[in-house]
Amino acid sequence: MNLTTLTRTARIAVLLTATAAGSVTRAGTPAELLAGYAAQGTEAPSPKAGQQFFNNRHGREWSCASCHGAVPTQTGKHASTGKPIDPLAPAFSVERFTDAAKAEKWFRRNCNDVLGRTCSQAEKADVLSWLLTLKPGM
Amino acid sequence: MNATSASRANTEAVSGQGRKVLVWDAPVRVFHWLMVICFAGAYITAESERWRLLHVTLGYTMGGLVAFRLLWGFIGSRYARFSEFVRGPRAIARYVGSLLRGQPRHYTGHNPAGALAIVMLLLLAVTLTISGWALYNEVSGDWLEEVHEVLANLMLAVVGVHIAGVVISSWLHRENLVGSMLSGRKFASPQEAIRSAWRSVAVVMLVLVLGFWWAQWRNAPNPEQTAQLPARADRAVVQDHGED
Repeated sequence: MNLTTLTRTARIAVLLTATAAGSVTRAGTPAELLAGYAAQGTEAPSPKAGQQFFNNRHGREWSCASCHGAVPTQTGKHASTGKPIDPLAPAFSVERFTDAAKAEKWFRRNCNDVLGRTCSQAEKADVLSWLLTLKPGM
Repeated sequence: MNATSASRANTEAVSGQGRKVLVWDAPVRVFHWLMVICFAGAYITAESERWRLLHVTLGYTMGGLVAFRLLWGFIGSRYARFSEFVRGPRAIARYVGSLLRGQPRHYTGHNPAGALAIVMLLLLAVTLTISGWALYNEVSGDWLEEVHEVLANLMLAVVGVHIAGVVISSWLHRENLVGSMLSGRKFASPQEAIRSAWRSVAVVMLVLVLGFWWAQWRNAPNPEQTAQLPARADRAVVQDHGED
């Protein structure tokens, strides 16, 4: 067993204790997460660039839209399993981008599938800034 | 040093039992190699959504295989039965001790250390499949994902120990244990042989597994449809912006 596994085990122990104690996961708002991503870039996040990034393929089979839909205000469909995916735009799904660790995990996994690398903070900021422009009744 | 003890162990093992007889029935062997495929494949595809359906399919297959193996452990042929190979901690310690001295006792079926690996692998596979199923069907919180990952890494560690044990035992006993898991045959006296290979059961297993894989593949979303979907919606977005 390696060190990572041990660390993970420790993390679970902490997590289970926290859950047992009745505490809730770290709360946050999509705007706070966006501020966090944007803080590390030099330019202001661009919703337009985010939309393009989201819908373009990046040399691989999938784009973000392959599973989430071109405008992720509706339930998406997993391109491999066909399972429904809750809307990604925070205005349409209250839990989206409220847990920084969870958002980070899914950026890591999905960017690896779409781009074959991790996304930069600027790319994350662009995408999230676009998602935040999507409101009901548009 | 080692060569002497190894050849002594070898002589003990082979003396009076100079030919190979059938020890592992066909279901045990098919189970073993399908488990190898399922665990390796699921482990490799764990981090990717692109291969999610494959990961889940291999995981469910592993669950089904283990369910069969647990049943086969009670009704299978001699060396497949838990009663033949599951032993207490003292027997395991004794065997590992003899292994460390380079003079392991030879077992026709599973040795006590190998048996421990099998029990651990079966338990880990059961919990891994249940946690994977619960995750895929979203019946629990995100914390289960960490548990699922730890179980998988534990299982990989036991697989590593199991492989090391096979290599060491093969070398000390001068017998090819990997080959035995393929052919089903080991050096033993004729009266130790099992009577039937139970090929029919193995064929049913293979048909069920391949049928399940085919059904999963058939029910998967059409990649062309999913590729077209965003393209169409994309045009709609451009139009929306024009109207703004």
